[in-house]
Amino acid sequence: MNFLSLLSVEYKKIKRSKIFLILFAAAFILWIPSIINSDLNFHMETEGISPENNFFIQGFMAMSWFMFPASIVVVTVLLNQTERADNGIIKMLSLPASTVKLSLAKFIVMLSLAAAQILILTGAYYASAAIVSVIQDYNFILPPLFVAKETGIIFLSALPMTAFFWMVSVCIQTPVFSVGTGMASIVPSVLLINTKAWFAYPMSYPLFVVSSEYGKLAANLETAQPELIPWLPVAVVITIICLIISCSCFGWAARR
Amino acid sequence: MNIIETKNLVKTYSGFTAVSGINLHIPKGEVYGFLGPNGAGKSTTMKMFLGLVKPTSGSFTIDGKKYPGNRIEILKETGSFIEAPAFYGNLSGEENLEIICKILGLPKSSVSEALELTGLAQFGKRLAKKYSLGMKQRLGLASALIGKPPVLILDEPTNGLDPAGIHEIRMLIRSLPEKYGCTVLVSSHLLSEIELMAGNIGILNRGHLLFEGTLEELRQDASAKGYPADNLEEMFLAMIDEDNRKGGAVI
Amino acid sequence: MNICLEYKKVKRTGFIQLFLCGAILAAVVPVVNMVFRTEMYTSIHNTPVQILLGANWQLMAMFNVLVIVTGTCLLYHIEYDNNSIQKLKSLPITESQVFLGKAALSVIMYMSVLVIEAGAVIFCSCHWFVTGDGFWKELCQNFIYSFIMGLPCIALSLLVSEACKNMWMSFGIGVVCVFTALILPEKPFFLSLFPFAMPFKMLAGTKHVINYIYASAAWIAVTSLAELLLIKIRRSFE
Repeated sequence: MNFLSLLSVEYKKIKRSKIFLILFAAAFILWIPSIINSDLNFHMETEGISPENNFFIQGFMAMSWFMFPASIVVVTVLLNQTERADNGIIKMLSLPASTVKLSLAKFIVMLSLAAAQILILTGAYYASAAIVSVIQDYNFILPPLFVAKETGIIFLSALPMTAFFWMVSVCIQTPVFSVGTGMASIVPSVLLINTKAWFAYPMSYPLFVVSSEYGKLAANLETAQPELIPWLPVAVVITIICLIISCSCFGWAARR
Repeated sequence: MNIIETKNLVKTYSGFTAVSGINLHIPKGEVYGFLGPNGAGKSTTMKMFLGLVKPTSGSFTIDGKKYPGNRIEILKETGSFIEAPAFYGNLSGEENLEIICKILGLPKSSVSEALELTGLAQFGKRLAKKYSLGMKQRLGLASALIGKPPVLILDEPTNGLDPAGIHEIRMLIRSLPEKYGCTVLVSSHLLSEIELMAGNIGILNRGHLLFEGTLEELRQDASAKGYPADNLEEMFLAMIDEDNRKGGAVI
Repeated sequence: MNICLEYKKVKRTGFIQLFLCGAILAAVVPVVNMVFRTEMYTSIHNTPVQILLGANWQLMAMFNVLVIVTGTCLLYHIEYDNNSIQKLKSLPITESQVFLGKAALSVIMYMSVLVIEAGAVIFCSCHWFVTGDGFWKELCQNFIYSFIMGLPCIALSLLVSEACKNMWMSFGIGVVCVFTALILPEKPFFLSLFPFAMPFKMLAGTKHVINYIYASAAWIAVTSLAELLLIKIRRSFE
């Protein structure tokens, strides 16, 4: 079985899973407080950030600190439960498909759902920016190229984190522990982005990236900027290690 | 005297009728075989008896108690095993039964009795998720038999068992009325199996009750209609086939 | 009796360990904070309980809420996993009794979590501060208040997990609710009454303390009614 058809099988498995409901709900809820409190964007003199930039970056900051990583954990639960609920994994392992490919296909499903969430969020951003523009009689809509660049960076920075969550969900068989570990690992990221060792903790990457962008957009604010060395090599190594472990462990519990 | 009686029991799911106005009469202290092909409505009827499915119309009584008013009283007297065995995978067989035992307010000794009765005594300490298919089936049976309830509802209880196991469970079911005075409603899609266990049978197809009575009556009925009476299985298949051709009308 | 049964059912699922680990992680927060920022906190003129909770409660409460969401998800996941809920429904026990048992178990676990966290606060207070006369009273008041604030969150997330057969769905809804709680503005007042936002409230520095207690009671009543309604509705669709 080639990889593409395996991938299409994986997409088929999450059909009717209503995962998009969760992703939409998160995007919807995120922007409501921003719309309600849109007048606050005009009182950012201390930070020195323009209202439209503030509106954009605050929303994405809230997203990347908790909801974005948490929804990736939710996706891991979805993928695992779909396999385990009716012993689907046993059937999959008894078919002539390599477990490595199977694991990678699932990882790609995770990535595409993460990408979908960012896309939904961006769509919701434009809708709410348009609403706020009308309410406040001020143009809150940022150029698409700028928004695409920012969201692209957030997605790329989430790759190692996604690999880590996938590894956790493959290696820890007890659902409550894999979920618990995933969720517990999100919480400290808010503390770790203020330390020098932030690059060793993949869960803090998206938040670090967004907050450094915040620093760039706010004239009076100094935030740490990512230095590609050692960040990039460390991120690549973490991603590769996580993927190797998850690919080699995938299905071991079912085969025991 | 009938312990279970239904009156025009109907269950429809959006546009599809699973059970279509059946009137069952299950005598007390007997094994009643509930026969029909897959999708005939056997499980739906049994689920209605347990309050797992709400009847669309019609009513039924179990031991004189009416649903839904006396649901809890009905459940106190009924042991059940529906479709696939239901259990907590993280608990051992024994622990699974202990939970049921507590809910039913039975003495602790009934756990070991039920394990013994179903041949699981030596596997009681093993986690239920590690059980083989047959053992899971036996655990399901044990959870139905625990406390020797007056009414037992068993939905295809021999599924997944080996030939020796099937024989053993059939013998057990057959002996239950005599041993404990209970009434057993057992379903199957094999007439040959029901023949070995039950005195009374009801044949269901596409939600309709095609026949109800004793095996002897079935034979007479069959020969009157020109079916081969010496081979009941063939007769059953012919009956179903004819009903299917008629489009499910009641005989 | 139900609570013993529920306790038995969660054996080997990691439920107890989950609450313990969550409690320990939350308890570590004030200790670590004190170790690294001793001077900063000891120079504040306030009672130790207020300083410690003021500096750490948001993060500690975050752990608490996540543990509640995950734990309650698990409580119903074990019922749906091997269809044991069907067996339960065919036994002479009502679904609301089962819900009550699960709620009681979660409440006891939440209480244990708070006790461990209070232990950490006591340790920090004794180690880095001078505890005055009213220390114990203040500590008890604060943690009892936090306990009351946690109850609506437990009830609602248990209700969500009862309503969803798939664990990831109830977990997903729980996560979205936690996220909502995190980004909800403090004003208007009624928004801060969101059940998942209430465990973040502290006694010290909170206005409308009594209103929050009333709100907690009201939420519990509403959730109980919703639970009964859910059972009724589900039954009519089965």
